[in-house]
Amino acid sequence: MGFFDAFFDIFTSDSTYLAGALFAAFLLFAATGEWVAERAGTINISVEGMLLSGAFTSAVGYHLTQSAVVALLAGICGGLIVALVQAEMSHRLSADQFVVGLTLNILVLGLTGFLDREIAPKTKIVSTWEIPLLSDLPLIGQALFGQPWPFYLLYILVPATAWMVYRTRFGLEVRAAGENPQSADVSGIDVNKRRRQAIYYAGFTSGLGGAFLILVQIGQFEDSIVGGRGFIAIAAVIFGGWTIRGTIAGCILFAGALSFRLSIQGLGYQLNSELLQSLPFLVTIIGMAFFAHRVRPPAALAQPFVRGLK
Amino acid sequence: MTDNEQLLTGAGEWEFSPAPLVELRGICKNFGAVAACDDVDLSLYPGQIHGVLGENGAGKSTLMKVLIGLVLPDSGTITINGETCTIHDPLDAAAHGIGMVHQHFSLVEPLTVWENVALGDGGKLDPDAVRNRIGELGDAYGLIIDPDARVADLTAGLRQRVEIIKCLRRDPTVLIFDEPTSVLTPDESQQLFKSLRTMVASEGKSVVLVSHKLDEVLRTTDDITIMRQGRVVDRMDTSETTAPELARSMVGREVSLRAERAALGHIELDVATDVVAQPTVTTEPVLTITNANASGPGGQRLLDDLTLEVHPGEIVGVAGVEGNGQRPLADLLSSLLPLDNGTVAVNGNAVSSSAPGAMSRAGIGVIPEDRHDSGVVLEMTVAENLVLVDPQRVAKHGVIDHKKLTRFAEEMIQEFSIQCSGPHAPLWSLSGGNQQRVVLARELADHPKVLVAAQPTRGLDVGAIEYMTDRIREAAASGVAVLLISSELEEILDVADRIVVMSGHRIVGEMPRAGVDLEHLGLLMGGANA
Amino acid sequence: MTTVAKPATDEKRASRARQSARLAEWLVLYLLSILGAILISALLVTATGGDWQSVVGALFDGSVRNPGRWGATLGAAAPLLLVALGTVISARAGLVNIGQEGQLAIGAAFATYFGFLIGGPGSVNIVVLLAFGAVGGALWAGVAALLRFWRGVPEVLSTLLLVAVAGQAVAYGLRWQGLLLAPAADRGNRNQVSEQLGTDRRLPVQTIFGNSYPISVYLSVLAAVIVAFLLARSIWGFRLKMLGRNPRAAQHSGVSQNRYGSAALMLGGAFAGLAGAAMLAGGGFAFGNFQLVPGFSANIGWTGLLVALVARERALICIPVALVFAALRTGSGFVSSTGVEGRITDVIQGLLVLALLVPPAVMFVRDRRRARAATTART
Repeated sequence: MGFFDAFFDIFTSDSTYLAGALFAAFLLFAATGEWVAERAGTINISVEGMLLSGAFTSAVGYHLTQSAVVALLAGICGGLIVALVQAEMSHRLSADQFVVGLTLNILVLGLTGFLDREIAPKTKIVSTWEIPLLSDLPLIGQALFGQPWPFYLLYILVPATAWMVYRTRFGLEVRAAGENPQSADVSGIDVNKRRRQAIYYAGFTSGLGGAFLILVQIGQFEDSIVGGRGFIAIAAVIFGGWTIRGTIAGCILFAGALSFRLSIQGLGYQLNSELLQSLPFLVTIIGMAFFAHRVRPPAALAQPFVRGLK
Repeated sequence: MTDNEQLLTGAGEWEFSPAPLVELRGICKNFGAVAACDDVDLSLYPGQIHGVLGENGAGKSTLMKVLIGLVLPDSGTITINGETCTIHDPLDAAAHGIGMVHQHFSLVEPLTVWENVALGDGGKLDPDAVRNRIGELGDAYGLIIDPDARVADLTAGLRQRVEIIKCLRRDPTVLIFDEPTSVLTPDESQQLFKSLRTMVASEGKSVVLVSHKLDEVLRTTDDITIMRQGRVVDRMDTSETTAPELARSMVGREVSLRAERAALGHIELDVATDVVAQPTVTTEPVLTITNANASGPGGQRLLDDLTLEVHPGEIVGVAGVEGNGQRPLADLLSSLLPLDNGTVAVNGNAVSSSAPGAMSRAGIGVIPEDRHDSGVVLEMTVAENLVLVDPQRVAKHGVIDHKKLTRFAEEMIQEFSIQCSGPHAPLWSLSGGNQQRVVLARELADHPKVLVAAQPTRGLDVGAIEYMTDRIREAAASGVAVLLISSELEEILDVADRIVVMSGHRIVGEMPRAGVDLEHLGLLMGGANA
Repeated sequence: MTTVAKPATDEKRASRARQSARLAEWLVLYLLSILGAILISALLVTATGGDWQSVVGALFDGSVRNPGRWGATLGAAAPLLLVALGTVISARAGLVNIGQEGQLAIGAAFATYFGFLIGGPGSVNIVVLLAFGAVGGALWAGVAALLRFWRGVPEVLSTLLLVAVAGQAVAYGLRWQGLLLAPAADRGNRNQVSEQLGTDRRLPVQTIFGNSYPISVYLSVLAAVIVAFLLARSIWGFRLKMLGRNPRAAQHSGVSQNRYGSAALMLGGAFAGLAGAAMLAGGGFAFGNFQLVPGFSANIGWTGLLVALVARERALICIPVALVFAALRTGSGFVSSTGVEGRITDVIQGLLVLALLVPPAVMFVRDRRRARAATTART
């Protein structure tokens, strides 16, 4: 079959968009919070751990109550627990944020793996809510409006986050903390507090993202459920130039790469399996290679702030 | 209180009150074993501009930090409007009606003017209310500014306006200005002082002008408090004192040397016998910069077709208001700024602007404006910092010989009188002046052909300034071509043989020191064409 | 400014008292933190129905007590130490390399491929193996270096993303006989496995008191000493430190961030790759059986990174830290026999690292709070 025929096939099949939307949503849950954290000046490497923790706690929550709402809330708690450690250690105790984040990822992996054997939570994917009319749109209709209901949370979360960062006082202070913490401090803003709060927000959205994995996309917990894709969310924020629109674009692009494998196999094509599996990571690397030079990070990104030490 | 009555000219709308707005009594502040403030008294009256004068390190900054809540005093009382109180932080100070316009700004560049002004307030964010207020204040004090402009796009003078509006927004009764004119052209300084006079005359505010420049203080204040080594040594009415008297008070002895007077901000205009004889410039220039163009990451122009020559034994002073390309010029000669086009040549040989360390290898030594940025590595020891550029001098077969290193360091410490606990003391434990000496020692140790000194005496006390200036003169006398970049005109007029003016990222004019026309100089600095 | 003078002897006594008080404070903090980590682990174990004491017993048995075990621990420590050393070098230059796991895998793959391709007598082949292991790891890190210094991609992300790609690349190689896959006759009943190294191509083994370990142990310790020396005393180490602490001062002083930074990153990869080759040729504890398999790197890369972080990026301190982490690893094999999930050692490891981060952070905050308290207004 011709190369272009294959491409056409992929781009005109519903399953491509369905799978892509799910991946994009997952990435977006994580990336939205990560965006806020990075605007505040902190690189939150523990996104991976937050997602995993959120996935596990939501699985346990569902296992215990059979309620999707409780599972969502449990997922949020899972994300917040990791955020607690990250925020307090790197922005109250001034421990190195990279080291703390990396360790948390490894710790959460071990912990969830350990507890998973012990508890073995049983979960399933939540029911779909079709939005009338809109879900009949060709190609993207089902993908965007015919998903299990937690998917729609994004339609509120993302605009609300953007509004929060650009229009509220909290957002103004967060941005100031990320661009020039010394000036912000002199103006009376508690820089480290804002950074901690931004990390908590990332824990909140990533916890939701983890719950999303369990309730919408995958349905069953396993310790490889995140599998390094949390870092792709970080890459999406960078790729998007630290704007919300760029982040959304980045998530869509990388989601396309993630779902490509499923689309290809789903449509009956054969392509080197290892290439397909590494495709999302390769696309991410190449995407950043093109855009990293053109974007300007918040000036104080990844620079810890201690008053008087400048 | 008759002094006050004397100084009150012009009708005010406020009620005359003989009581001070703010009174500081017995303020003491120690940092470790050093007393930054020692039993300081200060009274601020409404309707007056108070000058607080003193050399760098005299304690004026610390005193102001106490007033604004950035530093808590060890002892002493602060009385505001008759009530004793403690000021815990800047917000507290604002609540008491005290505001400060900072020397190194407190603005966040990527944000707009109104966002910066709104920063630090509480409550809901109301952009329109903030914009209106900016307009109101602009009209009242002659500080017009566009609320939606990005601070990053504003000049230093306009940024200072934003700072002032930020301060005025809280409707303070006391305004502190900390060395405000270092980034302003002579014209802009005039405008600023006019605004200050408006504030005190029409609304009975009290303004504190902190400065180390005699002339400025003499021109604009109503009374002057002089600090020296942490103590208040004198208080006088501006109208009753003279520059020499102030200088004597500031330094504690007769100030006869031109250098010191220059350091204290008093410009000597008569070019008499004590002007250093200029070397006859018949030799070829050592350093030649031709048509240098450089741009920054956002595409902004950092150097605009800059051409400059320096001859051996000559001191060329680069005058100009900060922010007009001085920093990029020093960066260029430090191998920190690659050129888009144009050349740099030492003794006729072209030097690459993009290869790391190329300028240094070509014989250009640099004392950077901000030593922490590119001059020293704070975490390394004094000895290590002394061999930063050339570790080979103390190494054999690629391995550093510890004994040689120590010996070299001790020699340098001796020669340059660097005060530290030893050659292996971490650099961060040294005072600013001594860190500067380390940089000087290192850059001179390699016997450079060219020495670039960027704002070399900023933040130093008179003794350290004298030392620096002497060393620079010595280097020139021994044949080094010196490029002195300074935003302090007094420093340039004191030391330079030839003056070039930088404005708009290029050289706009040039003149010999002898017979210099200050007015013309000021015009060039302000952006007029030669 | 006037100085505040104090009688000399009083000052000396006060300062000595302060110093011993500080030391005590540090010790207490470390003890409490480590205790805290152990406590949480113990709680986890008992909460899931296990017996903490038998877990500890199993850990000791598996790592040092049982016959032959401390040899295995030493053997496990060697690659950990090598990876950690590479990380120390990258960190000294201010670079965040977290792709050791992938660099290790590629190194092992290179060692396998070129080892079999080039052949030659046993001892020569071993050297070839190790050399190409280092080359492979260096090249893989080189990709990240290229991306960083040419396109501005942060190495923390590129090295990490390359780990996933590395895993896939090795898996791919193990499917083709022309690359890494063993001929059918030698494969036994496994699908993706490389040819096994001949007995003369394996690292020589030292046996003392019944404990066997490959000489990679000596290699790694020697490497640690050399690296420590070079970083502390050589001009190269001096320049690397400058680069890491103040890149602009380094630029002024002639240290090219591109060259020195790339070299540091690639050296990090080289050490990881060398570790991979050493694991291949050393066999021994849980490192496959002298043949390459999917998942070969067995988290040695990640753990080696942790070793470097815990050792605060000091080369010599990596030695004891690597031993501790190796002990956890070898001990964990015995833990599952007590009925507790073997993963608990990962958790213990993570908790320990976090615990060791706490004391310096707390001291830092305390120092600042004390400095501030010493200057409150006394009205």
